[in-house]
Order: sequence, then structure tokens, then C-alpha cells
Amino acid sequence: MERYTNNEITKIEKDNKSSLILTTPFLIWITFFFLIPYLIVIFYSVLTPGVYDIKFIFSLESWKAAFSSSYLDSITHSLVMSLLTTIITILIGFPVAYVIANSSKRKQNLFIVLIIIPFWTNFIIRIFSWKIFLSAQGLLNNALIYFGLIDEPLMLLRTNGAVLLVMVYVYLPYMILPIYSVLEKFNYSLLEASMDLGANEIRSFFKITLPLSMEGIFAGSILVFIPALGTYIIPQLVGHQSSAFIGQLITFKVKSIPRNWPLASALSFILLLLVAVILFTGYNYYKQGLRRK
Amino acid sequence: MEDLRLVNVTKKFDNFIAVDSIDLEIKQGEFFSFLGPSGCGKTTLLRMIAGFEIPTEGNIFIGDTDISKLPPYKRPVNTIFQNYSLFPHISIYDNIAFGLKVKKVHKSEIKDRVQQMLKLVKMEAHKSKFPNQLSGGQKQRIAIARALINEPKVLLLDEPLAALDLKLRQHMLIELMNIHDAVGITFLYVTHDQSEALNIADRLAIMNKGSFAQVGMPDDVYERPETIFAAYFIGDTNLIEGRVVEIHDEFATVVCHTDSEHEIEIDTTYHRQPVLDEVITLSLRPEKIAISRRPPKRKDDFNILQGVIEDILYGGTHTQYIVKVGAHFLRVFQQHKKVYIDELSLDWEEHVYLYWHDTDTHIIFETDKNKVNSENIMKTIRRK
Ligand SMILES: Nc1ncnc2c1ncn2[C@@H]1O[C@H](COP(=O)(O)OP(=O)(O)OP(=O)(O)O)[C@@H](O)[C@H]1O
Ligand SMILES: [Mg+2]
Repeated sequence: MERYTNNEITKIEKDNKSSLILTTPFLIWITFFFLIPYLIVIFYSVLTPGVYDIKFIFSLESWKAAFSSSYLDSITHSLVMSLLTTIITILIGFPVAYVIANSSKRKQNLFIVLIIIPFWTNFIIRIFSWKIFLSAQGLLNNALIYFGLIDEPLMLLRTNGAVLLVMVYVYLPYMILPIYSVLEKFNYSLLEASMDLGANEIRSFFKITLPLSMEGIFAGSILVFIPALGTYIIPQLVGHQSSAFIGQLITFKVKSIPRNWPLASALSFILLLLVAVILFTGYNYYKQGLRRK
Repeated sequence: MEDLRLVNVTKKFDNFIAVDSIDLEIKQGEFFSFLGPSGCGKTTLLRMIAGFEIPTEGNIFIGDTDISKLPPYKRPVNTIFQNYSLFPHISIYDNIAFGLKVKKVHKSEIKDRVQQMLKLVKMEAHKSKFPNQLSGGQKQRIAIARALINEPKVLLLDEPLAALDLKLRQHMLIELMNIHDAVGITFLYVTHDQSEALNIADRLAIMNKGSFAQVGMPDDVYERPETIFAAYFIGDTNLIEGRVVEIHDEFATVVCHTDSEHEIEIDTTYHRQPVLDEVITLSLRPEKIAISRRPPKRKDDFNILQGVIEDILYGGTHTQYIVKVGAHFLRVFQQHKKVYIDELSLDWEEHVYLYWHDTDTHIIFETDKNKVNSENIMKTIRRK
């Protein structure tokens, strides 16, 4: 009996030891590249800005400033735009993923490759091409004029619409792929069962297919919403000055003179908290769904 | 009446004929079983009745209504799928209520009827669980409840017990029969387990390569197979080819030979009179043959042959002997009952008498072109 419990204990100790060894690299990584940088960010946010650098004098001014209406507006704008991006990518991504998942194995591979190919081109170059495409002398305006649909170039660039368009373009693959991976494993005999029980194609979709693809939609939404919330380069290149994303303002605070490191830090930290809250709520909701399965 | 009628039903996949012009009438309330080897088209036939496949040719009627082109959700038919196909994201209660909710039945009525179904399949205690929390047998019951609650005219079951272990299968089989008797709905039951089909069905169809080898009541099909395939597919049998040499009022005599030296004569009763000199096949079930060192005391109406034991296989309920008679090998089953056997156990290479009643021989008006029988027997003999 004694020996048995001893064995048990050594076994548990061993397990603890090996799990410690296995998680150490990750812990080191997260400490050096996440925890320490963010501690520095928090530390900077309560200091006083200098013209070029930072003065080590305690101050809560930047936190006060961060909660002023202009920054809150920018945060709201970022939230709304990323939410719209997420919704549009779901609306486009789901049908696309559905079609891919329902085609023959060979076509599936082809589609996946077609979705991945744009990644081989640099992200900024792709956004620049959109910029050229949408500009007053760009391909789109010229084509519309050529076909006599409009008389003078439309103001396409530097609008929220352009930002949304490019964000959807950039983030769509991150929505398609997780939904596809769920639909690809989907048991289609469940749809037959549903139709057998009297539900037509549309009802079966909403009662069976959609709820069972939530996992993919949820994963895709996180992959789209969070980077979209912090995006900087897209609104910078195709958006308008007056409706800046929070990411743009943060960059602006560190780039332009006089610099304001503390305010940039405070804003960054608010963005982090926002993402954390959204992730946490989303995860809890998702876990509730999982428990049922 | 709401009989199910299949008229010339055919299904082709590209050029492959999966179901070949099938005609069949099934009475309302009948328990009908399709039995056949893998790939013979059972599932395809069922899927056409359910509406998941549209027949290439032919029509399916329930009563006077042609349902062959209706989508599945408009047919008064429900299916029990082989893998149960319960919806994993909703509770057992909601699974069973699914069909009624779709039909917008009133909430309180749904509640009553689900309760009733849960009681029928003895699963009242599990209604708030989710499908992944149930065992295979329990999932099966829920699948049955989920289908029956819609009060279909026909219930289709595609190998519903295939995933269960033997004891549970036997138990569920009885329960299925009880449920069938309680609800009085037509059951179409697909299986490739012959004892299941024989046990459960009012009538059964033996399928082979997309068409029926025989349709009839279980004992009819077993005792009086019409085709070599039917005889061979259900149970074990000895198939002996021979020529009719004498026809009497009650029986015929058949000469079976491979060469003149190994000629044997067998008397058989018949249901349809053969023609003199016709070449036919005799089917003789191994359990009908008695085996002994001594000849039987009674001789009239008996066929008596002499042979040598080639192989012995112990099989629990019975022992199988392979006995060489002339150039033929016959399979004989002997049950282990002391009241029947008053002699020491038989041994390899012993000379024995085989005897059986004339009425236990059965004529099939077909010849075994593929020689499945002799080849199969040869395979079962161990080489010494
Ligand atoms: N969608 C399809 N496309 C092409 N061929 C098919 C299709 N469905 C079935 N078949 C073919 O039709 C034949 C009959 O198939 P079916 O599933 O009806 O057999 P089964 O009798 O149910 O067999 P099992 O006992 O193995 O379930 C098989 O040869 C199968 O390959
Ligand atoms: Mg099948």
C-alpha cells in the first residue's frame, strides 16, 4: 500500500517535472517578448513626455488625454470598422468555404492554393496596387469613364469604403480557411437526417449546418477582428486623415515631433485591454457551446 | 390502404446499374427485410424510397401517391441511419422533437409526444443529455424515437444494429419487433446478417447485383430456395447437380454423377414437377442429414448414402463433418445431444452412413454454373 502511494507520488512529480521542462521555452518566450515589453509600456504610460524622448517624472496626464473624446472616437471608429470587416468576411467567406468544401478533392486543393497565392506577394505591395487601382487616374475610374458610366472620376480613394474594401480583401482568407476546415469535416449525413425529418434545404442549413460551423466562424472572427482592430497600414494608405484608426494615432505619437511616448503607451495598453476583454468574453461564450458537444 | 409499391425501379450510376428494375409490393404494417451481400444495392434502394436518390427509371408509390420525385422532406417516410446521425449540438429531447418543431406542432403537444416516445424506447432518464454522452445502443433508441415521432407511413432502417455487439444486437432486435407491433408502421429493414433477417421479418427479399434472387417468408426462402444464390446465401447448403431419371406421384429420382463409377441416386419430393432428363440442382441443408456408423433401422422415404469422413470442425452448437460420397463432398451438421447419439464420437477417415428424409431434399431449377458450392467446400477442407 505504502509502496503504491509512493509510486503514485513519484509519478506525479515526474509529470510535473516534464511538463515544466516542456513549457519552459514558451514561458521564456512570453516573458521576454510579451510580459517585459508590456511592463515597459505600462511604465512609460505614467511618465512625462519630452520633445524627442521621455522624462522620468511620474504623471497621469497621458491617461487623462487617452480618455479624451478624440481618442475615444478613434477607438470607436476602429471597433466599428473591424466589426464591419468581420461581418462582411463572414458573409463572403462562409459561402466560399462551403463551395470549396463541397467540391471534389482535386478542386479543393486548387481553391486553397488560389487563396494562399496572394500571400506570396508582399502585403504592402498588394495594398499599393489597390491604391493605384482605386485612384482618380486608376484603372477602375478609367474603365467606368470609358464605358460612359460616369463623366468624371469618382472619389474612391481616401474613403471609409476603400478602407473596408481593402480590409475585407486582406483578411478574407483568415475567415475562409477556418470555416473551410470545419465544413470539410462536416458530416453531411446530418443534413440528410434533417431533411428526412421534414426540414427543407434552407431550414436544415440554419438548424444544422450553421450551428455546427460556429467553431470555424468563431476562429475566423478572431483571426480577422483582432488584427483589423489594430491595423495601421491599410487606413494609412487608402483611408482619409479625418477618420484615423487607433493604430494610426499611436504611430503618429511616436513618429512626429514633439513625440509623446507616454500617450502612445497608454493608448497601446487600452487597445491590449480591449482585445483581451473581447477574446475572453468570446472564449467563454465559445466554451459554453463546446460543453454541449 | 397505404401499401408501398415499387414499379420497375432502376438506379444507374453512370453506366453501373446499382438497382435493376425492381418490382415489389409491401403491405401496410409489414416487417420487410432486404438481405444481400455488400454492394448489392440495398442502401441505394432504401435511399430511393427515402428520397435521397431519384430513380433513373420506375416509380415508387405509397397508396396511390407517386412519391418517386418528391424531396425527402415531403415524403411520409423516415430513416434510421446506420451511424445514427443524431444532431450533436442539441439535446436528446430536442433531437426527438426536431421533426415536430419543423412542422410547427404546438409546444405542449411536442412535450407529450416526446415523453411518449422516450417511454417507448425506454430512455426517459436521458432526455437532457447530449448525443455524445450516450452508448451505441442508446443512440440507436433515440434515432428510432426521433423517426417514429413523425408517425411515418414507412420506417426505413439501414443496418441499424451493425455497430452493436452480439448480445445487444439480439436484445435490440426483440425490442425493434416489439416497437413494430406497438406502432403498426411498415418497417423496411436492410441487413446483411441472415439470422437477423430470418428472425425479424414477416417477409424478406434476397438481393443480388441489384435484383431480387427471391422474395418470400423466411421459412419459405430457407426451406425452398428458388435460385442457387438464395440457397447459398442463406445458411449452409449442399448443392448437388443431377439429372432427373424417374418421376413418381410424390417424388422424383435424380442421378448425380461426375463419372459412371461415382454415380449416386437421390430421391426428392418436389413442389413443381420436373421434366424427365432435366438437369437440375438439389439443395440439401447440412443439418437435415443424419450421420452414423450404422444404417438407419427405418428405410422407407429415406435417402441413404455411404461415405468417408474427410474433415471435422467443432462449432459449439454443432459439429461439421465433411463427408466424401463418391466424387461429392457433403457437409453435415450434427448437434451434440446425447439423446440422439448413442455411439462414440466419429473420427477422421471413418466409414459412415448419411441419411435424410426425401422431403428434406429440394429441387432448384438452375445449375451452379460458377461451381460456388464445390469450390467452397474444397476450401473448407484442411490439407493433411
Ligand atoms: N453515389 C454513388 N455513385 C456511384 N456508385 C454508387 C453510388 N452509391 C452506390 N454506388 C454503387 O452501387 C452499388 C450498390 O451500393 P449500395 O450502397 O446500395 O450497396 P449495399 O447493398 O448497401 O452494400 P453494403 O451492404 O456494403 O452497405 C455499389 O457497387 C456502389 O459502389
Ligand atoms: Mg449499405
